[in-house]
Amino acid sequence: MNDTVIRCQGLTKNFRNYLQPPGVVGSLKSFFKREYRTVPAVTEFSFDAPRGQILGLLGPNGAGKTTLMKMLTGIIAPSSGEVRVLGYEPFRRPRDFRKRIALVMGQKSQLWWDIPALESFLLLRSYYEIPPQEFKIRLEEVSSLLGIEHLLQVHVRKLSLGERMKMELMACLLHNPEVLFLDEPTIGLDLVSQRNIRDFLLEYQRKHNTTIILTSHYMADVQALCSRIVLILGGRKRFDGPLLEFEKILGGEKFVNFSFSEPVVTSDSIWSNLAPEWNNDKTQVELRISDHDFRATAKEILERFPVTDMNTEKLPIERVMETLLRKPELLGAVDE
Amino acid sequence: MRKCLSFLRYYLSVYRRYISNNVARALSFRINFILLFFVDLAFYGSSFGSVSFIFDHVDTVGPWSRQEFLFFVAFMMAVDQIHMSLFMMSFWELSSDLREGRLDFSLLKPTGILFPVFFRHMRIGSMIAFPVPWVVMWYFGSEIGLGFVDWLCLPLFVVLAVALILVVEILLSAAMFWTFEGVGINFIRMQLQSISRWPDFIYGYLFQKTFTFVIPVLLVGSAPVHYLLGSSSYMILVAMLMAILVVSLLVNIVWKIALRRYESASS
Amino acid sequence: MSNVLQRELSKWTQTVQISSANFLAYKGDVLLQVIGPAVVFFLIKYQLWSSIYDFADAEVIKGYTIQSMIEYQAWVMLVGFISQSYNSRHLAEDIRLGRISSYLLYPFEFWHFHTARFIAFQLIQLSIVAVSVVALYISGFLPSLTLSHFVIGALYTSLIGLLWFSIHFALGILAFWLDETWMLRVTFIIIANFFSGAVLPLELFPDALRSLLYLLPFPYMTYVPVKIFMGVYEGSVLYAISVVLLWITILSVLSRLIWARGIRLYTAAGM
Repeated sequence: MNDTVIRCQGLTKNFRNYLQPPGVVGSLKSFFKREYRTVPAVTEFSFDAPRGQILGLLGPNGAGKTTLMKMLTGIIAPSSGEVRVLGYEPFRRPRDFRKRIALVMGQKSQLWWDIPALESFLLLRSYYEIPPQEFKIRLEEVSSLLGIEHLLQVHVRKLSLGERMKMELMACLLHNPEVLFLDEPTIGLDLVSQRNIRDFLLEYQRKHNTTIILTSHYMADVQALCSRIVLILGGRKRFDGPLLEFEKILGGEKFVNFSFSEPVVTSDSIWSNLAPEWNNDKTQVELRISDHDFRATAKEILERFPVTDMNTEKLPIERVMETLLRKPELLGAVDE
Repeated sequence: MRKCLSFLRYYLSVYRRYISNNVARALSFRINFILLFFVDLAFYGSSFGSVSFIFDHVDTVGPWSRQEFLFFVAFMMAVDQIHMSLFMMSFWELSSDLREGRLDFSLLKPTGILFPVFFRHMRIGSMIAFPVPWVVMWYFGSEIGLGFVDWLCLPLFVVLAVALILVVEILLSAAMFWTFEGVGINFIRMQLQSISRWPDFIYGYLFQKTFTFVIPVLLVGSAPVHYLLGSSSYMILVAMLMAILVVSLLVNIVWKIALRRYESASS
Repeated sequence: MSNVLQRELSKWTQTVQISSANFLAYKGDVLLQVIGPAVVFFLIKYQLWSSIYDFADAEVIKGYTIQSMIEYQAWVMLVGFISQSYNSRHLAEDIRLGRISSYLLYPFEFWHFHTARFIAFQLIQLSIVAVSVVALYISGFLPSLTLSHFVIGALYTSLIGLLWFSIHFALGILAFWLDETWMLRVTFIIIANFFSGAVLPLELFPDALRSLLYLLPFPYMTYVPVKIFMGVYEGSVLYAISVVLLWITILSVLSRLIWARGIRLYTAAGM
């Protein structure tokens, strides 16, 4: 089945706030009179997502990712625009809709803090009316995939952050949601835990063909999981396409690092077109080489200099993000 | 009918889990559990003390004698006791949930928002004091000579009274979506409770009418007790039922509007 | 030396300022939280006593006419405004949610911070009281108001504010051990309101209970200041002040001990 699961058109959300000058006088002033202003959080956002896709929603803090997620899940109401998830209008929150989606937030917990996670899961079983047999199977499946079978009866407050995050994930998967919204699921976790969660999500998704919408600040998450990327800057959609294309935004260039056994001559003409970034004692350099010239240039450097190591960067996407945040104009003007 | 039954079964099964989770949690905080008992006793003691000391110096307050008045106090205590153990926590939780944007998960539950928000948090410790108001009610009830049917109706009246105060409070708590800090609203809520803890006749005309017909908290205790004491006809119970119905309808409408204002503040 | 003092002072004024800004930020709620409850309590008691005197045979109950009973209750409300405004909800929350760690790193101590908050709240309260006194005087609820009694009463009541604060602080830091301390506070408020004469004047209490109460701080918290305001306090104000100071001292020492034990527990838990 390759139907469209999420469809939004011109989705917009504005918030209202007011400025408060510092000090007692300022707060007294705003006690009586407040000048409210409207702050757009998401503006005219449109995109579709087919079933089974893992879509990465990228953007810096405050770009509007979480607001968008909350509109898609029906937690907040859009100011204007159309949105349909599984054919439902999320903000009306029909019961069937709520039974078919799930949301995991890295910053918020839905587990009962003072009792073992299993108790929370049993409550979820009642919420979602999961038949006992199926509940048991899913409990076993997900907990063994996540490797947390032995922690189910431990008080949640005694779990480590990584363990708790796995429990949160599990809580959201018990009712086998068709669409899974993940808001920063790996935030604050160490590298191993991050990797565990990524691997789990990949395997789980492959098995159940769940549609996943993911936001993360860790490009490794995105690189490993997402086949498609939607970039949001200042509340607007600025890029939408496959991961590979996103990497090519900066043009067909590679960033290559060379290490040398001794300092090399930096004035050599070979460096001049490659935007070199040297380290202090001139034994390492980072170069920008176009895909076209890569073979020839690399070969020449290897032959002429005492190269001890060479590598191309592992996460080109991270650099793309970094560059775009600094120079959003690379994406062209915003179409109003 | 069948739909209604499965609906009921569904909510009961969720509610059973709420109870079990709350008990599990309450039992893991043993000191709190025991402290709560003394807390409630203090509350009951001071309510009784006030009224009892007043009657040391006067024979009647309004139309009621000491026994009748203390029966009313005990009735309101039974209402408070249920309210405190099963619902009160929720209002405080709601205020902090709203401030910290933690309503998100409740919004996603298939139950609908009101159920997880107002039925999930309990104060299990307060249940230990459960017999206290009932024993007192029984004592003064026998002194004023309640009949057999009256005794049968009494538990039902307590439940109705809890329902009435609860829907009024739920309606009021929707205001938290506008004020952002719910503590103030919770204080208003507590004020409404304290108004309801006194019989309606002590209040002046305007006050009495306002809190009977506009914000019907004076019906909570006064309606059933007046009926039991024979000072009002069954019409006052009808009024009470109507109040519950009307306020519930308002709850539905107002909460829908309120939720549109929810902004889900981050972490 | 004066430099150190100056720096210390600026920390305090800064915190007081921030706190009062914080309190005022939620504009409706300041009114609801502080004024509302007291006014409702007063209204209920006003109506209760009116109806009691309506039906009673005597015009005077234990020395109170209806007028002096209402005046008593009006002063109870005002004493509450001054003394009972601060609550330690935030303090307990700070401890429970592990936010205390950040205070432990500040060059400003935890109790300093909360005392500064208390002062901020107190300043706001005093201005509310000033307005209320004028309003109540004009409406005729305070027939025996005189300037000298008001000044002595206000000073004494501010001291009671400090006593309440010490109590709240001591109860609040029990959060090191207890999951919820607000119920302890609520209980204490219930008991204190009852035994301090905020619900009924102490003259209406049984005599044995009354003499017992004077061994505790309660009568000094509402009954005594109300009587001072009304100009009919029979005991010595200085004596009352020393009793209150004694209780504040006891509570401060107790708080220090609780804090010392609690903080060890807290850091040991590694929250």
